[in-house]
Amino acid sequence: MSGAVEDGSEVRTMSEPVELSIPIQSDLILLARLTAATVASRAGFDVEEVDDLRLAVDELCVLVAEDGGSGRLRLTFTTAGDTIEVVCALDGGESQDGGRPDEHGERELSVRILDALVDEHGEEFDGGQRRGWLRKRGVRHGPS
Amino acid sequence: MDEAFGVDERTEGDLLHLAVRGELDLATAPMLRERLYGAADRSSGPLIVDLLAVTFIDSTALGVLIGTQERCQERGIDLRLVLEDARILKIFEITGLTELFAISPTVTEAAAR
Repeated sequence: MSGAVEDGSEVRTMSEPVELSIPIQSDLILLARLTAATVASRAGFDVEEVDDLRLAVDELCVLVAEDGGSGRLRLTFTTAGDTIEVVCALDGGESQDGGRPDEHGERELSVRILDALVDEHGEEFDGGQRRGWLRKRGVRHGPS
Repeated sequence: MDEAFGVDERTEGDLLHLAVRGELDLATAPMLRERLYGAADRSSGPLIVDLLAVTFIDSTALGVLIGTQERCQERGIDLRLVLEDARILKIFEITGLTELFAISPTVTEAAAR
């Protein structure tokens, strides 16, 4: 984590992105949550913000993976100043059996959770690849 | 380390009490669905789902709870949730599900509703 002292206040600049690539297996999304919590903690997010990002990244993975079948999720966590950006892309996924069950409006629940927990989020198709992204700003407590 | 997913079940009179623990997510939602739908289908009285030992919940698990509520309504029985953790309650609030579920902070209060 980069950091410098300037006029007595902490100044944080962009740090090296953290990348994670996991097969779309439901039990491995845990790794995405653990990485989110670690990156947020190192960026100086407070406990509530760490929890929020952990859940938001879980929902982002679920949204992107919903019709991913046998593909992989490639996540990139980038910290710039007081903001963490997470991009989740689906590599090589194929639809299977209509994708994630949505009989109880789970997709809408995911979107509501993201709306509440992060500053910005979105989904897009780019060159046939599904991507989701989010940005969350934290309170400046200094790196831990 | 978070406690592993599990469900303990006990009956008190006509109340069926399921105590759920661990993280409720895409991985554990199928097991949660099996246990809760099964309980909703055979319970003869109110179904209490105790989430006090749940450490994480996401939209997939919320979908299971909504499905359980629908099954309970079809059978004319009450579904009562028990949860107290502010982090878990926050997820119910931001998704508007506090309006859908009967939520109590303790099992005793849920049983007395």
